[in-house]
Amino acid sequence: MILNIDKHDLASLTPRDALGRALVDLGEKYGDVVVVTADVGEATRAKYFQLKFPERYFNVGISEQDMIGVATGLALTGFKVYAVAFSMFLMRAWEQVRNSVARMNVPIKIIGTHAGFSDSYDGASHQCLEDLALMRVLPNMVIINPADACEVYEAVTASIGLKSPCYIRIGRDFSINITCNLDYKFEIGKAVIIQEGTDVSIFTTGQMLPFTVEAVKILEEKGISAELVHFHTIQPLDVSVIEKSARKTGAVVTIEEHLVRGGFGSAVAEVLVQTYPVPMSIMGATRFGHSAKNPLDLYKYFGLTSEEIAARAEELVKIMKRQ
Amino acid sequence: MQKYSNRSVSIDKLKEIACKARKYLLLISAYNQGIHLGSALSVIDILTVLYGTGRVDFLNGGWDRNWLVLSKGHAIHSVYAIATAMGYISWTELRDSGDIGSILQNHPELGAPGVDVATGSLGQGVSIAVGIALGIRLRGKDYKVYTIIGDGELDEGQVWEALATASHYGLTNFIPIIDHNSMQLDGELSVVKHKGDIKQRFSGLGYRVYIIDGHNIDEILSILEEVETSNSMNIIIAKTVRGRGISEIEGTPKQRLSREDALRLVNDLKC
Repeated sequence: MILNIDKHDLASLTPRDALGRALVDLGEKYGDVVVVTADVGEATRAKYFQLKFPERYFNVGISEQDMIGVATGLALTGFKVYAVAFSMFLMRAWEQVRNSVARMNVPIKIIGTHAGFSDSYDGASHQCLEDLALMRVLPNMVIINPADACEVYEAVTASIGLKSPCYIRIGRDFSINITCNLDYKFEIGKAVIIQEGTDVSIFTTGQMLPFTVEAVKILEEKGISAELVHFHTIQPLDVSVIEKSARKTGAVVTIEEHLVRGGFGSAVAEVLVQTYPVPMSIMGATRFGHSAKNPLDLYKYFGLTSEEIAARAEELVKIMKRQ
Repeated sequence: MQKYSNRSVSIDKLKEIACKARKYLLLISAYNQGIHLGSALSVIDILTVLYGTGRVDFLNGGWDRNWLVLSKGHAIHSVYAIATAMGYISWTELRDSGDIGSILQNHPELGAPGVDVATGSLGQGVSIAVGIALGIRLRGKDYKVYTIIGDGELDEGQVWEALATASHYGLTNFIPIIDHNSMQLDGELSVVKHKGDIKQRFSGLGYRVYIIDGHNIDEILSILEEVETSNSMNIIIAKTVRGRGISEIEGTPKQRLSREDALRLVNDLKC
């Protein structure tokens, strides 16, 4: 933890509140931190930073492409820049991230909020299920997908020291806090082994963590020992943990709040197929989202539940036994 | 006060540099098919003034100096040619530009002399320039960010996003210059897509608009001095001609020459 804060203070915050808090704390510690947003200071809580450091806060209006360029320019003059907007609309600036940020390897920190199904109300147009795939393909890009409000705080504050650009995708209000009570050290690039097991590996990222924790319990009751590993960092991926776990269990289920092509599951598959191929099941969204009253409705609708995860893991174990 | 190292350079000297640079551009085009010759020739006088007066430098580090952002990145060979005319690059280095082993690539990349910002994707340089101007201001300084924008480039929405941001924040040290040569890839501007009344579009966003002859060194010098000491947002529309200086391609969409033609034309150009 870069800044001295009691994690229990964070447990009651929403992911976006934790972001706002992290930005303020960073702003207090580092005089050269600046924040840029695209008309979503309120919605992302970047506004907390504005209230304390108005001279270091910039709003470019609804212009995400411009935001990325302005952030790049600020970074070229030596500032530590946090560029904050909704994940979905940051994707319209993907080419700017590719051509202005990644190509010059400018260490700006791009924070995408309202990612996955967290913005249940606004529906498919806003529910970003493609960002991990799009960011992952870029050289020099560090990608972090925190599990809950506590990890949002960890990720955002830890990113201050990065020498390459990074993309951190967070939710909105929904958060089931697991890492707040976990005794571990948040390190960019290091996977977190939540529970060891022998029959099947479950790899999770972002806000799917609590559902995998429940899934492990369901499997336990069925006599299946699942190994649960949480990957807050998608890039660089903790390759050694992936390989070690696959060798131990021989079967891997991945889950993400993202489309099944090109995201976390694909990243894991790329590693395993080139080192230690094992049967895999990649879980995630398979089509665009929908308006809903609560992200939980969307998780159910798209089969991203602890029951489904347990069922997939069980299926994989059965397949393995037959071989 | 404007910081430039060569304030006393004469107009004749600048014209000489521009002429030499034009010769070097022809020489590059004899060896490098990646050049956009017409586009490089239209902006070469403006760039000659910026480099020739020492307003900007070819070798840079740090933030505390003037910046040049060539948002119209495909004209980078103009920068290389001027650098050669002024002695910063050797002829052999220039001749090998665009080669796999050369740091002189066909669009601005970090590491090459004269490149502050890697560009090439139209529209993006303008936002970056605005961010740089903002960063300089945030540190309480007034270093200028000269930003060269193509007129075809004005089709990109990002340009307008950036212009609005700059004037919203009153970044008077952001100095946009439009290289208005009336041509884009598929033809004349008005034929491809009308730009409307760009003077009005700029002034609507709070810019004082200056229109100059982009090939008149005197006018370029005066307008720069005017905007550099101004308290308002300013934008310069430099009327230029694609391929200016080489009669065979002047006013045409031609961007490349055969080696034969290029070498012949070099000899015709008298400086």
